[in-house]
Amino acid sequence: MGTGGWIVLGLIVVVVIWVIATYNGLVSRRNQSQNAWSQIDVQLKRRHDLIPNLVQVVKDAMSYEQETLKTVIEARNRAVAATGPAQASVAEAALSEATGKLLMLMENYPTLKANDNVMQLQEELTATENKISFARQFYNDSVMGLNNAVQSFPGNLIAGRFGFTTGQFFDVPETEKAVPQVKLR
Amino acid sequence: MADPRPGPWGSPPRPHGTAPAAAPGGGPWLPAAGDAASGATEGTGPAVGTAIGAADFLAAQRANRRRTLVLLSLLTLIAAGLGYLLGWYWDAGSRTYASAGVVSASGVLVALGLGAVSIIWSSISLAWGGRMVLAMTGGHEASKETEPQLFNVVEEMSIASGQPMPRVFIIEDGAMNAFATGTSGRNATIGVTRGLLDGLNREELQGVIGHEMGHIANLDMRYMTVVGVTVGLIALVSDMILRVMNWGPGRSRDRGSGGGGAAAILIVVLIVVALLAPLAAKLVQFAVSRQREYLADATSVQFTRNAAGLISALHKLTAAARPFAGASRATQHLFIVNPLHQFGAKASALMATHPATEDRIARLRALGR
Repeated sequence: MGTGGWIVLGLIVVVVIWVIATYNGLVSRRNQSQNAWSQIDVQLKRRHDLIPNLVQVVKDAMSYEQETLKTVIEARNRAVAATGPAQASVAEAALSEATGKLLMLMENYPTLKANDNVMQLQEELTATENKISFARQFYNDSVMGLNNAVQSFPGNLIAGRFGFTTGQFFDVPETEKAVPQVKLR
Repeated sequence: MADPRPGPWGSPPRPHGTAPAAAPGGGPWLPAAGDAASGATEGTGPAVGTAIGAADFLAAQRANRRRTLVLLSLLTLIAAGLGYLLGWYWDAGSRTYASAGVVSASGVLVALGLGAVSIIWSSISLAWGGRMVLAMTGGHEASKETEPQLFNVVEEMSIASGQPMPRVFIIEDGAMNAFATGTSGRNATIGVTRGLLDGLNREELQGVIGHEMGHIANLDMRYMTVVGVTVGLIALVSDMILRVMNWGPGRSRDRGSGGGGAAAILIVVLIVVALLAPLAAKLVQFAVSRQREYLADATSVQFTRNAAGLISALHKLTAAARPFAGASRATQHLFIVNPLHQFGAKASALMATHPATEDRIARLRALGR
């Protein structure tokens, strides 16, 4: 084999290594975004479980807020019943809004703030709301990483050949983008 | 940020549902985190305003891993080179410089020995470093039951960073400080002092935990361990060189016997290198440490999308600054603020592990703009 042969062989080896590395990179990005998606799911379920408990604990003290409590429970039930991502994201957004309002109103009840049980539930719900948005943030970041890898040259050659597709961003429905009407105090 | 709500519902600037993509033109910290990362993904359009990207810091993490390897190889090479010189000098001294060839058995031996020492030392430090830190700081592990809020905040940050949930330790000390240790996300630990828990609100705590999670995600423990070992090794070799100069077979009575100018120059070079190398290595180590602090601050904002919490926390930490008994020179770089020194402007000096708090806050404000 002459010098030219060696050069060709070397180039082939480099290309093969690049293909393997690119392919593995795409796989790990896809897995990461799938895992991030399931993390959102976990936190949404956690919220569904927490809300009835919280409502149960505060409903006596907050007797003047029956309307709000009812909205929260209804929103929660709709979110639990929702099927498919499109329906779910709308329902979850409404639930976020209702829960946020409830937590806000609770600030007005000193007796509730003195109640350990309530404080604990409130912390849990706060944390869960945060986790949902962090999980969504991480999911969107992961999807963007995947999409960049799938769409940019020359990785798109590999992605196209092996059937990697772009991921779907977790969009925030309009209701949730609305400015919360709580900055009144 | 003008949100008046107090209490545990405490990180309102990014309330539930405000996914980073939400508002076009984003919260004030949106472009921020973009800068914090590479900024390369800037301007991908409002639909993907999330451009701040895990993609970016995960890429940064990969780059960091590569850099660690490069740095380790490079510094090991330097150490091995020094060792070879040392062995060669030893060999040559026992004969004459003229007869000594370039190849020296002792040189190769010393160099290999140093390489082995470096690898073994690094492995031991990486394997035991974390446990040593925990033992030295004297913390106890917290559980979800005993510290629900701290646990929740750590969990939030672990989700935001895509890292596994670290172990959480509490140090019963009134000083306000926090540290992270662990060579990877899988064996990481975050420790906070009781003073920190008592003194910070939820939002500030989130900023601090985000900073520690940033250290973990950026693999800083690994990076700094390798740097530390190599710096130690360079100091060791330099010390050996100086000793051999004084005591070895190549001391002055043999030196004239056929060495000539080249040998004299080599000796001068050896001495200069031996004197300067440890100092230079130390300065590099501190500089690297300060850069990692800035990076962890930026990473924290990237996770929380909220610079205000960390800024406020740093203000409080600085105001309450006092030395912390559980820390030592060996572990000082792990803490969020230096546990041994005052954090004033002087801390920007070359020999500091942490940048001055004012500088950190100034950079965070720049992020939040």
